[in-house]
Amino acid sequence: MSPSDPLPDPEMVLVRYGELALKGKNRGSFEHALIRNIQAATRGLSAVRIERTRGRLAVFPERRTLEVARRCQDVFGIKSVSPAWGCEAESEAIAALAGEVLARALKERPAEREITFRVSTSRGDKSFPLTSVELDRFVAERILPGVEGLKVQLKDAELVLGIEVRPERAYVFVDRFPGLGGLPVGTLGRVMCLLSGGIDSPVAAWLAMKRGCRVSFVTYHSHPYIGDASKKKVIDLVRKLTRYQPTARVFVVPFTEIQVAIRDGAPEAYRTVLYRRMMQRIASHLAHRDKCKALLTGESMGQVASQTLENLTCIEAAAELPVIRPLVCYDKEEAIERAREIGTFELSILPEPDCCTVFMPRKPIIHGRVESCERAEAELEVERLVAAALAGTEVIDLESDL
Amino acid sequence: MEAIYLDNAATTPLSPVVREAMEPWLTGEWGNPSSVHRMGVRAREAVDRARAQVARAVGAPPEGVIFTSGGTEANNLALFGLLPARRERSGGLLVGPTEHASVRAAAAALAGEGVAVTTASLDEGGALDLEALGESLEREPALVAQMLVSNEFGSVYPLAELSRMIRARTAGRTLLHVDAVQALGKLELSMASIGADSLSLSAHKIHGPKGVGALVLSRELPLRPLIHGGGQEEGARSGTENVAGIVGFGRAAELADRLLSSTAAHLARLRARLVAGIEALEGVELLAPGGEAAPHQPGIVSLTVPGAAAEVWLHHLDARGVAVGTGSACQVRKREISPVLSAVGLSPERARGVLRLSFSRENTLEELDRVVILLREVHGELAELPR
Repeated sequence: MSPSDPLPDPEMVLVRYGELALKGKNRGSFEHALIRNIQAATRGLSAVRIERTRGRLAVFPERRTLEVARRCQDVFGIKSVSPAWGCEAESEAIAALAGEVLARALKERPAEREITFRVSTSRGDKSFPLTSVELDRFVAERILPGVEGLKVQLKDAELVLGIEVRPERAYVFVDRFPGLGGLPVGTLGRVMCLLSGGIDSPVAAWLAMKRGCRVSFVTYHSHPYIGDASKKKVIDLVRKLTRYQPTARVFVVPFTEIQVAIRDGAPEAYRTVLYRRMMQRIASHLAHRDKCKALLTGESMGQVASQTLENLTCIEAAAELPVIRPLVCYDKEEAIERAREIGTFELSILPEPDCCTVFMPRKPIIHGRVESCERAEAELEVERLVAAALAGTEVIDLESDL
Repeated sequence: MEAIYLDNAATTPLSPVVREAMEPWLTGEWGNPSSVHRMGVRAREAVDRARAQVARAVGAPPEGVIFTSGGTEANNLALFGLLPARRERSGGLLVGPTEHASVRAAAAALAGEGVAVTTASLDEGGALDLEALGESLEREPALVAQMLVSNEFGSVYPLAELSRMIRARTAGRTLLHVDAVQALGKLELSMASIGADSLSLSAHKIHGPKGVGALVLSRELPLRPLIHGGGQEEGARSGTENVAGIVGFGRAAELADRLLSSTAAHLARLRARLVAGIEALEGVELLAPGGEAAPHQPGIVSLTVPGAAAEVWLHHLDARGVAVGTGSACQVRKREISPVLSAVGLSPERARGVLRLSFSRENTLEELDRVVILLREVHGELAELPR
């Protein structure tokens, strides 16, 4: 911005992804999904052009390169990102740029002690006159005189100046910001997440996204026993998760009639388990409608009274699809820790009631039995209640506002 | 004769699109965002949408946006709120040389409370003296307040370089607050790229409504509120939200961001037209501290005029339908020389001759051509008069 600091913002973001997922024909679909997801994640920041190049992606934003790099760190499937400056693919130009990038990097680091350093070239353009090792040496010899406080060390250097030579242009970088790893969202199919507004279900959704699932959401709303602020809280939670999956569909199911029917027509102790069985049924229907292949919940063994193995069995028996419970063996503390990392914790602990608190039984059943559930449901108009709830379901399509 | 408004650094006309976005929130939707009934929830959703729009315009997380009554309150909140609450203010406060009155006066008030306040300086050419500033950083001030764009000259200060210097010298212990009121919508504004910890914004400088602005934090930082009460804005700024104003701000910020590249190009054309036009006017000089080649926000042009005082020029232009500014609007009524004009080394004599012409995306090249003609007329009448 001023004569003493000629380096503008970086022009490219180098994106590295994990190697494990890249076996055989998976590779193409993995890369396509990743490109799509980067484009979706950065949509609000800048138009980006993305090129594939030997096991990594080069992302060229029109503007805001640093923010684009930051956003890429939240895209699953990425190992690390480096904002990079570009120049003509020619040794002298590369060395000059490398000198500037190094000078800037050193300005950000306190000069009290010696920093270990190396140059590391990757050559995409094999026609380039120098080999990688030769270019490493050439650049180091050019830039090291005149710089104090650096000690060359080839293994485990603290400061690694990376050079990426491509046919049309070369790129120089020093930062390597970690990504979240995992697989790109959408490479493993869709799942339907039952979202309550608590701490666990957003974490479950995040974990499924990390394994490449595309997650849709269903939440149950018991207006007027519960206020719309609770519904907003759940939607806001999904909005938080759009940081990792830029678009998401939320089904808001009216649940009051069902809860009233259970209150009036079923044994009190079984209420909570019966609520949850109804939720599984409705979620299964919505999953079919939304092409989801499994249900996803934040349930964990023994965390609350209703989550005994017997009760989990009762609940799952009503589902028509496999139920995935990523947190099944988590401690509460582990879930909280994770929720903090992904940014949903603060929102989850807002004191808004959810529909499970409506008509809460004084003594809920601890060791429920499937047959008892079925007997109780025989007295209820299960099919009609489910159909009515589905008919009243509101569909909300959210887009990331980041 | 159509009036020509060239005082957009003071305030801008409300965009019709923004007004339209605000209207429902002034009429049918008058709910309180803290209410738990549906009307309240809708108002809260509207405020949250605006929060995301403002955040996006500066590349910040939505949680970082604290809505205030404007840029002045945002600057006050940053200075009073970000200085550590306890005694650990030993390093004190370092403020830029040409800060807006809201930063200067807040700093003076803090000095009155015993905070050590240092003011950075400009070098001989009028650029920010980074070397001297680097020395001031040795004391590890708790907070540095440096504006991005000067409201008086449009100079763009090298914030990215400053923030790198701060990080290197104080290992992140010193926070950087940036008044970006004159930058939003006029130049690429990214908190990450300038390295700011907090940013002040104002809606009415970007064709939004008056009475609303924001302090934007780049991450979670301990902040002491100025206004205590019901805990709105996560406790950082109590008081029922100005819903319509906030919605308008959000829409204005979104619009400003979307139009950014075309706005910047347009303003540069307007500026070039004016600068070429005044070349022939003897004694009229472009005031560009740091040199004409230094980066500037193209929407603000400061001129020194010969003869009668700038205020007389202003009235003569006003009589011809052209609204411009002098020195700094906040100082005009006091009839004092703005300390900012002294900071760039202007003699009181020249300082009394500073006119500020500031453009918005709504001004046209034809307007600028007309203004050049009118300036020539006024020049004929006033250039020979004594001050």
